[in-house]
Amino acid sequence: MDWKGSKESADAWHMTDNLHAEQGKGDPFAAAIRATRMSMIITDPRQPDNPIVFANDAFLKLIGYERDEVMGRNCRFLQGPNTDPSSVDRIRVAVEDGTDVSIDILNYRKDGSTFWNALYISPVFNDKGELQFFFASQLNVSDRKRSADRIAADKDRFEKAVKERTAELEAALEAKTTLLHEVDHRVKNNLQMISSLIIMQRRTIKDEAIRASLTTMLERIEALSTVHRRLYQSKDVSRFDVADFAKDLVTDLLAASGRAEIEPALELEPIIIPAEKATPVALMVNELVTNALKHAFKGRPDGTTGGRIGIKMNQPDSHFNIEVSDNGVGMDSATGDASFGMRLIKSLARQLHADIEWRDAAPGTRVVISMPNETRQKGSFS
Amino acid sequence: MTAPLKVLIVEDEALLAMELESLVEEAGHSVVGWATSASEAKTMADSVEADIAFVDIHLSDGPSGVDVAEYIGRKNSSMVVFMTANPKRIPDHFAGAVGVIAKPYTMNGLMSSLRYLQECIRRPPPVSTRPAGFTLSPLFEETLVSAA
Ligand SMILES: Nc1ncnc2c1ncn2[C@@H]1O[C@H](COP(=O)(O)OP(=O)(O)O)[C@@H](O)[C@H]1O
Ligand SMILES: [Mg+2]
Repeated sequence: MDWKGSKESADAWHMTDNLHAEQGKGDPFAAAIRATRMSMIITDPRQPDNPIVFANDAFLKLIGYERDEVMGRNCRFLQGPNTDPSSVDRIRVAVEDGTDVSIDILNYRKDGSTFWNALYISPVFNDKGELQFFFASQLNVSDRKRSADRIAADKDRFEKAVKERTAELEAALEAKTTLLHEVDHRVKNNLQMISSLIIMQRRTIKDEAIRASLTTMLERIEALSTVHRRLYQSKDVSRFDVADFAKDLVTDLLAASGRAEIEPALELEPIIIPAEKATPVALMVNELVTNALKHAFKGRPDGTTGGRIGIKMNQPDSHFNIEVSDNGVGMDSATGDASFGMRLIKSLARQLHADIEWRDAAPGTRVVISMPNETRQKGSFS
Repeated sequence: MTAPLKVLIVEDEALLAMELESLVEEAGHSVVGWATSASEAKTMADSVEADIAFVDIHLSDGPSGVDVAEYIGRKNSSMVVFMTANPKRIPDHFAGAVGVIAKPYTMNGLMSSLRYLQECIRRPPPVSTRPAGFTLSPLFEETLVSAA
């Protein structure tokens, strides 16, 4: 039987509670409402202050009052100091408008303890559309609320922790970047000072051999300087473009030698190597180019001193190749095993796991270097 | 021969200033002053005439080289060229400077830069190629292109 659509007047409910057990028992629907574990009440908006006219046992059990303590009272006695006034407002508006409302509200038991009430109130109208009653059900959702609160608190705490950690990391990164710039600045300034010291010293020296030796030293330092200048000019300080470096180096060495009759021939593919390889590669290229400049174009029978110095760079597979060639007088394959320049080149090649070979280019010399390049295999150019 | 240049050096590191002075003089130009701080540099810029001021960014009174460049730029008396190991400190608009020689420069790099600058000042546009360690400010690069 549909109690809402019942022929009996809705007043029957009013009676039900005052009814004595017998009549209630005769109505299975009323009996169900009385016995259900779901807390339910009915209020009568037609009476002053919308009092409770029916309350089931579950309701009384939930709030800890006796039936005679609640009957005829407005529900507001369930509110307390921590009940959210805006929730109360929403209920008030729904009751005034005769609409339904579903809300979680903090309610108080008789003993003063609180519980979260998932309250649902809906109006009951008669056939003429007149408001008869409000039907309200209550569900204790304190547990759900508590875990929701805990999740929210956990989330807040977690977000706060992440934020703090991010700030820490950002600060650490910034400190590291500042430090890197500072160190970079000092390294560059110190390299400049070393060059300056050598140049100043060289000015005071008359002996040609000693001057030449200081010049070689200056060239080596300046090769390192060029590496550092290039390394920190780029955005990524962990990568180094050897081709760009070689171009700078050859141009610089040729201009410094003042030998306009020697022409550079550059065939350079961009080759990116890890920063830690930059210095040995640069030093090696510097030795080979200065050797060609110094030795390849002197002692020709016809007395000419002109020619071409070539640098080729490419990376056909996971290796990269550097070739330094000249079309000068060529060199005796036995030469220079004990000389410092030659030993330096060979040691650097060993450090880099590079194969190095001097070939007779007839005319001139072709030095071919081939070395593994890990940047390719790692595949990260970022 | 084109007329030699008068150079003002703004550099807090004595060794570098000393060496720069020697190189400038070896190249046939003259050094008209050496300042180690921004305040010294500004006073000097007011009292001496220079064609070029080589200005380090880090001076004895802090990273004030950009200030110096702006000051000299406002007077419009000399071309400013930054000379720094910290080119990232230079603002995008170059604070009125025409370019930057990045440290560490090579001896030849500096000599070539001097030659290039002399051509820029005495009979633009320059005929020699721009040396590797020398970067032009975008504005000055435009000026050179339109002079060509
Ligand atoms: N490209 C070259 N052409 C001709 N001879 C060369 C060339 N490279 C090296 N040599 C010879 O090998 C020798 C050893 O070179 P190196 O060890 O660099 O010593 P250094 O350059 O100090 O003489 C040189 O003295 C020169 O005789
Ligand atoms: Mg050698």
